[in-house]
Amino acid sequence: MKSTTTSAHRRLGALMSLGAAAALVLAACAPASSSDPTTPASDPTTSDAAPSDDANGETPAGEGGTLKVGYISPITGNFAIAGQEMVDGWNLFWEINGSEAGGVTVETIVEDDAGNPELSLTKARKLVESDGVDVVVGPLLANTALATAAYTSSVGVPNLHPVAAADDLTQREANDLTLRTGSMSGSQMNYPGGVWAAEEGHKTAVTLCPDYAFGWESCAGFKQGFEQNGGEVVSQIWYPNGTSDFATYVSQIQAANADIAFVVTAGGAPGPDFLRSFMGLGLTDSQELVMNCCGMDQATLRALGDEVLGFKSISYWAEGRQSPVVEEFNNAYAERYEGKIPSANVAGGYMTASLVAKVLEENGLVTGEDLVAAIGDASFEDSVLGKVSWDEYNNTVGSVYIREVQERDGKLYNVPIREFNDVDQWLGLDPDEAMARETYSQSFQG
Amino acid sequence: MTRAQKLNVVGFAALIVLLFAFPYLGTSGYQVSLASTVLIAAILAATVNFLAGDGGMGSLGHGAIAAAAAYGAGWSSLQGHSITMQVVVAMGTGIVVTLAYGLLSMRTNGIYFLMVTLAVGMVIYGLAYRLSSVTRGENGITGIQRPEMLAEPWAFYLFVVASFLVVTLVLLVVSRSPFGAGLRGVRDSESRMRSLGYYVPAFKLVAFMISGTIASYAGLLSVWHTHFVSPSSAEVHRSVLLFVMVILGGLGTTLGPLVGATIVVLVENVVSNSMERWPTLLGVIFVLAILFARAGLVGSTAKLVRRMRQRRAGAGPDDAAELTDVPPTSGTTTSVRP
Repeated sequence: MKSTTTSAHRRLGALMSLGAAAALVLAACAPASSSDPTTPASDPTTSDAAPSDDANGETPAGEGGTLKVGYISPITGNFAIAGQEMVDGWNLFWEINGSEAGGVTVETIVEDDAGNPELSLTKARKLVESDGVDVVVGPLLANTALATAAYTSSVGVPNLHPVAAADDLTQREANDLTLRTGSMSGSQMNYPGGVWAAEEGHKTAVTLCPDYAFGWESCAGFKQGFEQNGGEVVSQIWYPNGTSDFATYVSQIQAANADIAFVVTAGGAPGPDFLRSFMGLGLTDSQELVMNCCGMDQATLRALGDEVLGFKSISYWAEGRQSPVVEEFNNAYAERYEGKIPSANVAGGYMTASLVAKVLEENGLVTGEDLVAAIGDASFEDSVLGKVSWDEYNNTVGSVYIREVQERDGKLYNVPIREFNDVDQWLGLDPDEAMARETYSQSFQG
Repeated sequence: MTRAQKLNVVGFAALIVLLFAFPYLGTSGYQVSLASTVLIAAILAATVNFLAGDGGMGSLGHGAIAAAAAYGAGWSSLQGHSITMQVVVAMGTGIVVTLAYGLLSMRTNGIYFLMVTLAVGMVIYGLAYRLSSVTRGENGITGIQRPEMLAEPWAFYLFVVASFLVVTLVLLVVSRSPFGAGLRGVRDSESRMRSLGYYVPAFKLVAFMISGTIASYAGLLSVWHTHFVSPSSAEVHRSVLLFVMVILGGLGTTLGPLVGATIVVLVENVVSNSMERWPTLLGVIFVLAILFARAGLVGSTAKLVRRMRQRRAGAGPDDAAELTDVPPTSGTTTSVRP
């Protein structure tokens, strides 16, 4: 019986290969009708030519058309909290101001990418090719952002990044359709921290950063700022992502015996975890410490409470800044989200929305490269992030704050104690010179 | 040829025609690209299926093998190599990595095999994440181009379909060959094969090399599809999803990987558009399959059909064995080895 089945299967196999061959031949004849499947893909480019014509004509009235926005963010998975905040910030702006700007209705389709770049890509494809969106916003993580930007720029759709911090997004991989709208690059946002530390009179520093791209960039920014101003980084310590016990790292910081310690986390649990070890080993009063944006964000303040009063950090976002724009934003967020104070992710989403609204108000409906160009020309005297404009690589040029945790009305805020204005991404170098160097890593810190 | 076999052949032919005709059925570019994603996942799942179904070796490292090949292509493209060179580097990387896996794991079985492949997979993930001079770290490598001939999405899709059919055929032939029979012998009882004079580790190594080489090819296809590779391609999560695809579809069945890949990819990419809790849905589907269709969707459907035929025709057991496309050994598919 066995032999009969095998021969039957063999016959089956032969038939299958015949079928496959026939199908291949069929496919070889295909290109004649081939234009059919490709036409839908090219549709979006033809459709954005028309509306931009109207925009040049007259000032937009009530009938300004619709700007379709595809918003990709990790709403599930490991980065769900940050991803949801990024969406909340975007939605919050349109809830406060109405979803119409300059007569143009803004329609948003939110898609989840779970922090997976392949998923971000299919979602971006879906948004562009099926939904025909005019602009893609997001996603959150460096790798998802770079993957999406490469795709959107290849199909001529603008891509705005509210949170992603990868340096290369607006440097080596920069293109005419990709903009960082609500944050700064990893080295850019920490560079002024180094400058500040040196100006405060610290001579030596020790850094502790996570051992991957974001950590390398952040530490490189701090180190260059510090050393260009006469300081010396005596020791650089790296921890693997996912570390929860920081005791050994804290004792290494102690052993380095430097004037100031600079500590980076990418947000989430490591911030509070590190600080517990730091305070637990009694270093609060003896070791000067400055953290980055995300190590000392609202999540950390909520987790540790009064214990972190007086701790310092560096960020492009300061929720305790005295400004009507920030206060309006804080109050609106608190009203809708159980009295919470917004984080940098919320601010990034909100900032991106206010930018889009501003551009629509000034230009009517613009899409494609016109939209990017309009954003490039835009600037804010005061936004939630302070004074902001955009450089020719489409990166934000804005303020970086040295912040201190202070209490106000029973809540903890990061309040700016020093402000650096018009910080660009070049760390005092010439753009070409900066990009000719190798990318940052453990072994190359600039 | 029995009637059932004719039905199978017609079914297969219809599937092939459908696959090739898909871009001409008024589908959008996005749908065609999604279909490519499904088929690439199916090729990768088929390699896991071959190793687990015929060899009894459950691997948690195939995602990383594919990622290694993808990184090979990415690195080569960064160096400005020609497309041919990129293919050579990609396949070379994949095969070298596979050999490392194979040599480390050929003397183990069951849970130990699982652990060794998991560990090597983690090493590759670690390298992708940390060896930034080659891999660019977490940022990944962008801008990897496929051959110009395949630049159009539909052309690439047809190429993927052809690849899928060839891979399925190759795996079917290997599985039906004497080598395949030997491999199933190893799966069922290593000690028996040893006492019969077979050198068991060699069987395992060869099986792993076949499976890993095809997985490398799938990695190359996926990087051609997305133009991008980053450490998340090498995550354990990916390898686990491959296993989910195989078990959903039916371990040891020819079309199981395709069915499983379709379900998983569609839940990930399409259901997630309208449903926020899609990972839960995937989990529920998996649990239901384990509870009620232990031989997977394809395996269980085949069983069901066979049982109904038997009841209706009162056919003898000899006939019944011939009624489905599932190979005679698939009785063991119910025992999920790893």
